Amino acid sequence: MDDIVFIKEEGIKKKGEIIVYALSTCAFCKKALRFLRENSISFSYVYVDEFDHDKKNQIKHELKEKYKKDIGFPFLILDDTTVIIGFTEDEYKKKFIDG
Amino acid sequence: MKTKSYDDVSLFISMVAGKNKWKLNKDSEHLEMITEGLMKNYNRYGYFSCPCRDADGVRENDKDIICPCDYCVPDQKEYGHCYCGLYLTEVFFNSGMEPGSIPERRKG
Repeated sequence: MDDIVFIKEEGIKKKGEIIVYALSTCAFCKKALRFLRENSISFSYVYVDEFDHDKKNQIKHELKEKYKKDIGFPFLILDDTTVIIGFTEDEYKKKFIDG
Repeated sequence: MKTKSYDDVSLFISMVAGKNKWKLNKDSEHLEMITEGLMKNYNRYGYFSCPCRDADGVRENDKDIICPCDYCVPDQKEYGHCYCGLYLTEVFFNSGMEPGSIPERRKG
């Protein structure tokens, strides 16, 4: 996955390295990205569905193997260790605002 | 393939909800995002693949996630709404709660 070009958004707050694998069609993905944006948290993201068939399957396979999680979107990785799948505002608040 | 417009997709969603006696998410922005997602999927794959899941792009492989997906009713029974937070049960709708992400029921 080293060849993936992520879109970087710089915020005022650094909450660790946040990478979000998202779908361009998914409402919860859009809400997750907006949450990070509105709270001025730096993050990088990529829309997995916009890759070709083989590439996106490779990405999903590698995520599943590396993090030992079933794939769902948004798939957020914090500091290469913590994975949050899906979006609920409460969970994101606890992790990135209150935590 | 004839493409679908935003209004076409809105009509489709409303008809599915009406036929099944489901309620649509009352959050107009959420509804708009899903409508746009379904429109994009239809116009690139040729069918209404669930916008909250990554499609294979081959209808046969995606048949279980064509909207309304095979997991909609089980998810409604357990969580009150489908995986996308699009189709809600009347009870969930009247509760005033906001749909959030739920665990993926699809295997694989």
